Amino acid sequence: MSKVEKIKLLKKRYKAERRFKFYGILSVCLAILFLFILIINIFSKGSGAFFKTEILLNIKFDEKKLGLNINSSDKEIQEANFEEILKDALLVLAPKVPELKQAELIDMVSIDAALEVKKFYFYNKGVLNKIAEVPLTLSDDLDQVYKGNFPRDIPEERRRFSDFQLKIFDDQISKNKIVYKFNWSFLTNADSREPELAGVASSLAGSFFTILVCLILSFPIGILAAIYLEEFAPKNKITEIIEVNVNNLAAVPSIVFGLLGLGVFLNYFYLPRSTPLVGGMVLALMTLPRIIIPCRAALKAVPPSIREGALALGASKVQTVMHNVVPLAMPGTLSGTIIGLSQALGETAPLLLIGMIAFINVVPATPIDPSAVLPVQVYLWSESAERGFVEKTSATIIILIFFLIIMNSFAIYLRNKFERKWS
Amino acid sequence: MNEKIKISTRNLSVFYGPKQALFDINLDLVENKVTALIGPSGCGKSTFIRCLNRMNDVIDLCKVEGSIKVDGKEINTKNTDVNLIRERIGMVFQKPNPFPKSIYDNVAYGPRIHGLAENQEILNTIVENSLKKAALWNEVKDRLNQPGTGLSGGQQQRLCIARAISINPEVILMDEPCSALDPIATAKIEELIDELKKSYTIVIVTHSMSQAARVSQNTGFFHLGKLIEFNLTEKIFKNPDNKMTQDYITGRFG
Amino acid sequence: MTEHIVKSYEGQLQELTNIIVKMGGLAESQFSNSMIALLKRDQDLADKVIGKDFLMNEFDIKVENSVINLIALRQPMGIDLRETVSSMRISSELERIGDLSKNIAKRVRFMNFDLPSDIIASFKRASDVVQKNLKDVLDSYSRRTKDLAFRVWNSDLEVDDLVNKAMDEAMVFMKKDKKNLEISTQFLFAAKHIERIGDHVTNISENIYFLVTGDQIKGTRSKKRSTEE
Repeated sequence: MSKVEKIKLLKKRYKAERRFKFYGILSVCLAILFLFILIINIFSKGSGAFFKTEILLNIKFDEKKLGLNINSSDKEIQEANFEEILKDALLVLAPKVPELKQAELIDMVSIDAALEVKKFYFYNKGVLNKIAEVPLTLSDDLDQVYKGNFPRDIPEERRRFSDFQLKIFDDQISKNKIVYKFNWSFLTNADSREPELAGVASSLAGSFFTILVCLILSFPIGILAAIYLEEFAPKNKITEIIEVNVNNLAAVPSIVFGLLGLGVFLNYFYLPRSTPLVGGMVLALMTLPRIIIPCRAALKAVPPSIREGALALGASKVQTVMHNVVPLAMPGTLSGTIIGLSQALGETAPLLLIGMIAFINVVPATPIDPSAVLPVQVYLWSESAERGFVEKTSATIIILIFFLIIMNSFAIYLRNKFERKWS
Repeated sequence: MNEKIKISTRNLSVFYGPKQALFDINLDLVENKVTALIGPSGCGKSTFIRCLNRMNDVIDLCKVEGSIKVDGKEINTKNTDVNLIRERIGMVFQKPNPFPKSIYDNVAYGPRIHGLAENQEILNTIVENSLKKAALWNEVKDRLNQPGTGLSGGQQQRLCIARAISINPEVILMDEPCSALDPIATAKIEELIDELKKSYTIVIVTHSMSQAARVSQNTGFFHLGKLIEFNLTEKIFKNPDNKMTQDYITGRFG
Repeated sequence: MTEHIVKSYEGQLQELTNIIVKMGGLAESQFSNSMIALLKRDQDLADKVIGKDFLMNEFDIKVENSVINLIALRQPMGIDLRETVSSMRISSELERIGDLSKNIAKRVRFMNFDLPSDIIASFKRASDVVQKNLKDVLDSYSRRTKDLAFRVWNSDLEVDDLVNKAMDEAMVFMKKDKKNLEISTQFLFAAKHIERIGDHVTNISENIYFLVTGDQIKGTRSKKRSTEE
């Protein structure tokens, strides 16, 4: 080959390299762009759910109307009726208003407003017979108006709020009686039919318990299975078949595990329906192969010289594996576990089949209380007609992502700790 | 010469599946002497020493036939407790393989699993003595908690030697211990072997004939799985009986 | 014998052998010429022998350097080690033989008349045996055989006897007449030289035996007459 040809060939090669690099950078940029768009979309839609509008209402805690006195017991307070003083306080905003409009006035605050007044009184018993400024959650329609999600300028018939309500609302805004603050109740309330009261606490707890059960079941079983298969099992036809099946299990659609859970756990063993216990068991089945496979790969990657060194010292096979090989395989195993659990956290289909779709309005306290999980919550709220649930859906996704980040960070911290210690 | 035989093999043969790797090896290893095993690649010397501490059991298709006697007692039987054998016969490998633990834990591992130390103080003493005997103590005494893998190649190999002697074996098997080391590190290990032979019986497999000549008192020449000649090192390198041995040591192998 | 895998190593050893062979040839011719010069009182030949002696020294230095190189760079073992060490020793023995031949040649200057033919004949017999031994020993070196070397080693006594006989005859001649003193003395010196050459040849035979077998020839050498050494 002549010199000129050689140079030409070389130039072609360089060009090809540059093109290749360009494609690579382009792909990365595209991926980042999509990610960016997704995140911005979710955050813009969901951030509103973290804030709520409240009205500061002056309420007179008339003891006669409440039927309470200074020394009333908690039980008596619990049973007292706060509706009337609430109604009185609202009527002050628009006195001399006909009956029809009175109902609209009451509709302006959330349906649980009376409960909020009661709660206020619980912590501020000194306001008996006095007037106090009580922050009350606004109804979800007005909340959306304030957030700008409901347009004001369309005709009244097409709106969910009347001109009258709007007038009072604007009036209160001008008097600085409307506050916009962080919506803690989103995080502490259970699900509710009313968007302004609905919170993720129940599904958050549900997800937490489900993942916990999944982890407790799949991690030890998965690791021990991987250790046995890789280090102790004899290499024969049977173990080959098992290996093939484990690999295939990882590819099984997750809903199949839901069917299994339904048929076996619920219908045969009569385990409680809709509980994180069963949900965790179903997810554990799904996560097992996703832990076994990377754990086996990590064990295989440990150089045989480590095993030989330990054996030559007179360590038994078990001591060799557990003291020397497994610690080295931990980083890889934990990586696999992170991925497996992250996927489990986002699983919806199998959990639907075992009933974790029910409307749960109480925060579950144990893994055998019925609950939903975060992805299912997202699904449920996205189906709802209420406008207020739109932002809550996206907000739940944000919470889910946040949960994932915390989980992953912890696992990465563990993995780094292992890696630093052993290398 | 009142020489006690520490290990003796009779009709020792090794098979990897259908392939025979060692043919009827009869060899006596003398106590407190260094025996070198030389021979071209694939001649079976590594296979041979792995028989002595039953490490060939680890390989699936490997079958070991024949007699191996340690202090007169047969160890190549089904009933032998291999862990006890490996406590008495230690091994140092070609590529240094310290555990991914601290220097202290590397040396302490053996005594821990064999229950040789009743308390922390005794364990500390064992670790210190082993590192001293391996001529490594002065270099690492201030950093016992650092990982063993952070040492240089020569230091790692001395750490492996310290680890091997921490359980107080009677025999130390060395499989080409210096092949991954530079000349200075090699010289340090050779000096160490000279010292160690006072307390242990040492068998060293080596590719370097000059190392075998420097370090050992007895030498065995292996070729294609057979023991061709076994004699005093002096004789083997000055005037061997067998022509094949002569050709090998003078670099005339065809 | 199979060749070394590293050809240059083989070459170095071969070169060493070649030098020894050349030295041996030179030693043979120097000794033979010095004897002819002595017995025929040929001064020219004697001068030639004296003049050529420096070559032996050069060879010896070459051998020494070669040997040191081989040991440092090749670390010879087994038979190669014996070759190397023997070559060095044989070379120094040959160098001594050359030296002694030169000394014999130096006697010619002082021979002012011929000795009686029977004395000359005795001397010739002794030197012939030594020359033959030298030739045999160099042969056994070339062919690396131990039997010839052993024979030469064993003939040590025979050489001594012949030399003693020649010396006795010379001493008798010396006592006959005062004018015989000078020439007889020179001849006695020459006889000692011949005997010493014989010893060196025996040394060479021992080295060759060790080279080939790796063992030392057993037994002690024959006793000498009390007047010598």
